[in-house]
Amino acid sequence: MLQYVIKRILLMIPTMLAISVIVFTIIQLPPGNYLESYIAELQAQGESVDPQKIAFLREYYGLDKPLVEQYLRWATGMLRGDFGYSFEFNMPVTKVVGDRMFLTVIVSFVTIIFTWAVAFPIGIYSATHQYSWGDYGLSLLGFLGIAIPNFMLALVIMYVANVVFGTSIGGLMAPEYIGKPWSWDKVKSVLEHSWIPVVVIGTSGTAGMIRRLRANLLDELQKAYVVTARAKGLPPRKVLRKYPLRMALNFFISDIGSLLPHIISGAEITAVVLSLPTTGPMLLNALKSQDMYLAGSFLMFLAFLIVVGVLVSDLALVALDPRIRLQGGVAR
Amino acid sequence: MSTIELPPPATREADHFVSTEPFDPGSATRLTPEQERFYLASQWKLMWWKFKLHRVAVVSGIILLLMYGSTLVTEILAPYNLQTRNTDFIYASPQRVHLFHEGRFVGPFVYAQKKTLDMDTLRRVYTEDRAEPHPLRFFCFGDPYRFWGMIDMSVHIVCPAPGSTLFLLGTDRLGRDVLSRILYGARISLTIGLLGIGISFALGLLIGGLAGYYGGWVDMTVQRIIEIIRSFPELPLWMALSAVLPVTWSPILIYFGITAILALLDWTGLARAVRSKLLALREEDYTTAARLMGAKPSRIIGRHLLPGFMSHLIASATLSIPGMILGETALSFLGIGLRPPITSWGVLLNEAQNINVVALYPWLMLPVVPVIVVILAFNFFGDGLRDAADPYR
Amino acid sequence: MKALIIRIVALAALASTLAAPAFAAEEPPSLAADVAAGKLPPVTERLPRVPLVFTAPRSDWTLGRYGGELRTLQAKDRDIRMMVVYGYSRLVGYDEQLHLTPDILEKVDNVDSRTFTLHLRPGHKWSDGKPFTTEDFRYYWEDVAHNKELSPFGLPQALLVNGHPPKFEVLDATTVRFTWVEPNPMFLPALAAPSPLYIYRPAHYLRQFHARYVGLEKANANAVEAGSRSWAGLHQKKDEQFRFDNPDLPTLEPWINTTPLPATRFVLVRNPYFHRVDANGRQLPYIDKIIVGITDDKLIPAKTGAGDVDLQVRYLRFDNYTFLKQSEKRNQYHVRLWEKALGSQIALYPNLNAEDPEWRKLMRDVRFRRALSLGINRHEINEVVYFGLGRESSNTVLQRSALFRPEFRSAWTKFDLKAANALLDSIGLTRRDGAGLRLLPDGRPMELIIDTSGESTEETDVLELIRDSWRQLGIAMFSRPSQREVFRKRVFSGKSMMSIWSGMSNGIPTADMSPGELAPTTQEQLQWPMWGQYYEQGRKGGEAPTAPDVVELVKLFEQWRNSGSADEREKIWLRMLAINADEVYTIGIVTRALQPVVVRDNLRNVPVEGIYSWDPGAYFGMYHPDTFWIDTAQTAAASAK
Repeated sequence: MLQYVIKRILLMIPTMLAISVIVFTIIQLPPGNYLESYIAELQAQGESVDPQKIAFLREYYGLDKPLVEQYLRWATGMLRGDFGYSFEFNMPVTKVVGDRMFLTVIVSFVTIIFTWAVAFPIGIYSATHQYSWGDYGLSLLGFLGIAIPNFMLALVIMYVANVVFGTSIGGLMAPEYIGKPWSWDKVKSVLEHSWIPVVVIGTSGTAGMIRRLRANLLDELQKAYVVTARAKGLPPRKVLRKYPLRMALNFFISDIGSLLPHIISGAEITAVVLSLPTTGPMLLNALKSQDMYLAGSFLMFLAFLIVVGVLVSDLALVALDPRIRLQGGVAR
Repeated sequence: MSTIELPPPATREADHFVSTEPFDPGSATRLTPEQERFYLASQWKLMWWKFKLHRVAVVSGIILLLMYGSTLVTEILAPYNLQTRNTDFIYASPQRVHLFHEGRFVGPFVYAQKKTLDMDTLRRVYTEDRAEPHPLRFFCFGDPYRFWGMIDMSVHIVCPAPGSTLFLLGTDRLGRDVLSRILYGARISLTIGLLGIGISFALGLLIGGLAGYYGGWVDMTVQRIIEIIRSFPELPLWMALSAVLPVTWSPILIYFGITAILALLDWTGLARAVRSKLLALREEDYTTAARLMGAKPSRIIGRHLLPGFMSHLIASATLSIPGMILGETALSFLGIGLRPPITSWGVLLNEAQNINVVALYPWLMLPVVPVIVVILAFNFFGDGLRDAADPYR
Repeated sequence: MKALIIRIVALAALASTLAAPAFAAEEPPSLAADVAAGKLPPVTERLPRVPLVFTAPRSDWTLGRYGGELRTLQAKDRDIRMMVVYGYSRLVGYDEQLHLTPDILEKVDNVDSRTFTLHLRPGHKWSDGKPFTTEDFRYYWEDVAHNKELSPFGLPQALLVNGHPPKFEVLDATTVRFTWVEPNPMFLPALAAPSPLYIYRPAHYLRQFHARYVGLEKANANAVEAGSRSWAGLHQKKDEQFRFDNPDLPTLEPWINTTPLPATRFVLVRNPYFHRVDANGRQLPYIDKIIVGITDDKLIPAKTGAGDVDLQVRYLRFDNYTFLKQSEKRNQYHVRLWEKALGSQIALYPNLNAEDPEWRKLMRDVRFRRALSLGINRHEINEVVYFGLGRESSNTVLQRSALFRPEFRSAWTKFDLKAANALLDSIGLTRRDGAGLRLLPDGRPMELIIDTSGESTEETDVLELIRDSWRQLGIAMFSRPSQREVFRKRVFSGKSMMSIWSGMSNGIPTADMSPGELAPTTQEQLQWPMWGQYYEQGRKGGEAPTAPDVVELVKLFEQWRNSGSADEREKIWLRMLAINADEVYTIGIVTRALQPVVVRDNLRNVPVEGIYSWDPGAYFGMYHPDTFWIDTAQTAAASAK
């Protein structure tokens, strides 16, 4: 077991290395660099930039160095904990990301809980009442979440909430609380605003989860031990609870691995539409303007989170499910 | 080795024997015709029967068939051509189809729309002019087009009365009929899904198959690659890959490029499924037998292993199509991906993604309905397939 | 009775002029507490000895009262620099009649456009209370502009005339002089630009980062501690007067940014040492605080419509007007429509430096350009996209400019397919293919590809409409959207044969403003990037212009630069405008496009009709937001209703 853990952790290293190369390539792929997109943007608004300043900035940011050197500088910097400088904000990446991380984590966390809370009962009902109208109806609800494009749903809900409830448009709280210390009113405002992104992002994750839970549960329900238990007279609910559900729960944990990237990606588009002060819009802007260090370092961080998340869920699965352990490998 | 003592030969007759009289096996247990059919049925037949149990899946299948079928005859179905615009009717609201005019039954018709300009709010206001009905024409001649790029035709299933308009779902900011645009957009959006799945399927099968069958370091590298791709947030990958598409490409090429990109990020799920199934089935006796008999790996994989789980694969693939369709809309939203003048549902939705539309011209959001229907249909259909996938269980 | 009233009014007027002291000692209430506590000197000591007295620029302008907060929205952190644009505190600035008047400076002596003597206001202080003197100019000149590390590429372009720098002299604590050998008519406009040429720095603040004043070791140590690569980098970072991202940097603007980046909400507070007063002697600005919220640009119209702002113009587009109008009553604001100062809202730029030889020849043929222009149905575009409120026009100056002539606007703008077809035939493009498209001399069908930056649906829509009418000329048009940098690169390298962009950026020039847009002067010009590059890089890059009219344009531009007389400058302008109108180097479509401006009902002194222009005008700058004020009496009355 320990061997397996160590092996997996060691395997993370080449993975992260490969990811860093990919990330760097990705950011450099679009033609041009930060400076050029900055200039282009200014031009578009009719401002002009002093060519002297441009030359100065180009040298200062090291944008005139060859790509390999830029990559090495960035990669070695990250190992030292120096995530580089954001061109756009003119300050260290950690500072730019720092404030937004907190809110992002909260939103993601609540969304995951919401997804579980919705998917769980629907999945169970679907599996135990296969082919009934209840099955169809609830599945329909779950699938609706994934069928409606996030960005459209977010916009419509936001507008309706504004017209009907008077919720201010966009953001995670009413404008007067931004930057102010936490108070009861501020918490209320955050709750009032955050149900929109949670619902929009959460519903798109439920479909997949419902389906997987349903499939797994169906598998379990057909097994011999369930039939035995029923034959022995155990009431159906108790049967459900004591045996197959435990198996299904295992699956929940392993599913974090696939849920996490979905939540993070899905959150980005929704966050842009709703203008949330989370990391999604920041990342997208950084990618568009090729703010190399900000985009690159943050992407590495995200990838790292996901890899670790998958590792943790795999390990948790191995720990929880003795069959896997004894069979000597992680089966999916 | 010591000698083994054999028991002494039997001294009396065994009390059971095999009779030599003729025997009809059918007389012992009689199979009903249904049971006989069931036991003699092929794998695919069994799948079909099990699939039919899932009623909604069947309905979804029919819906999908109709939608894909419509893309073949879009020009005939749509009241207007894709590019037709009527600058006198910008942002027209949907016209209602009536049957009765002043109490009389006239048949399906619409009223003309009268336009007034509200110079205070700078808005075009349309009101129904109930003076006279404009009956719809069916199987009529309307906008000319080139059917399948080859034949010049102008037949439409429904057209407006001459000199009148038929905007069943309203018009957009250039006066283009929304219904027609949705129908034409279906061509791109629906086929992206299929094409993308095709590419992704092939990739997943190939790579997953290799990994599963050969194991060892092939498997290790493939697993790492899969892990890397799955660990990556999709959006940045999409953005980067889309940025690579040279701008000089024609819209068609860009369309294929986007399809390829969506597929490139999608094959991992399939590959993993293939790999794990192959890893399991590889140990089965019949595989060993085949190998011992001298079959080549390709024959073993193709003839013996694959059929065992092809149904699963098809189900998974079907369930990935909605992801592609949504991916296309997401890319359009981000401003990469397909852009006008190509018309897809994603492009239409992107054009509708602003507050003006939500507040003032909500009919422009209607392209979301076919998106939802298709995705729901694929989901249910895929569920049905998956449930039916392993009929021997 | 009438006579009595007149007498009373006259007496009252007399009394008020006698009673009002030259400078009332009224403190803005938000500062009163600090003054009382001794943290701030009283207003009479905070103002320069001769402050700028702002007089009513229009009839509907009123003197205001102190107080209130103004909320507005921007789309990026970077946009905080817009507050420097709106604040518009410059050495010299444009007033509403587009005259250059001294603002921070008390007086400017301009001899021949060669010698500029700048007189500062004695007693003028920075926002932190330290004196603003010619030392700040000297610091810039010697320690920044001529410092090898801070300015490795030399002086900024606007200070050089044919590559020659000026002579800089400090005459006394409030007077400096710049002298050039040849005239530099761009000097004052550069100082008045929305993104101005800064020839001064807050020396007392920046010294602590400069190696010359604290020693190289200490300066570098500071840099390392702050995470900069070198002391020059740190100095540069702290010194961004225009970026407005350093809350500690003293400024001369009416409001000071107190929020460091990154932020989603910036708070700007009044500058207690601001140098302008109103006619009653009260120190400006009236408004105490400005709150700038940062939100996604697509959401800004929605938030504006929901009543989250008091003043908004940026990121509002014409097609948002209806939506904004709908919520007017509910959210107590109203929407005004200002005229955009663009010569043409959208213009097509044939690339005279296109790579493809056949297309290049065509683009350089004036008959071809004229035909394309005649083939555009501007009326339809106006009706469809601009609700009929625009004005069909070529890409030239606006009617309200003194340099306007009707023939400039109407040149080659009539929709005449017959004449256009005749012109194309006369060039020799008479062969057609099976689909009716004309063929180029080398046999290729005429498929004209227009590059767009892919950002605005407006451009796409206009192109849709143009496509159809050009089809009737036998030209198939395709639009190719790409991203901004790619778009620019394609044009500069000649790979693009034609592009679409906004028209002339300064549609309201006076003869004293630079006609640089009308001649190839910079690579950024989409119709002749290589000829522009040639000029911009001092005849070293790009290509030399060959078309005789273009060569004349360059000559005229040089003449303007060296001209000493206003009359001569005007003549040059008119000649350049005439050439551009006749030669149709850029194809304008519709002008007088309208820009919605959302103003809260209780916000005063925002002009009802205005012009929305970057340079000159600085968007709001020209209209002096420091004189906007919030009429709380009206709000109280409204809420009491």
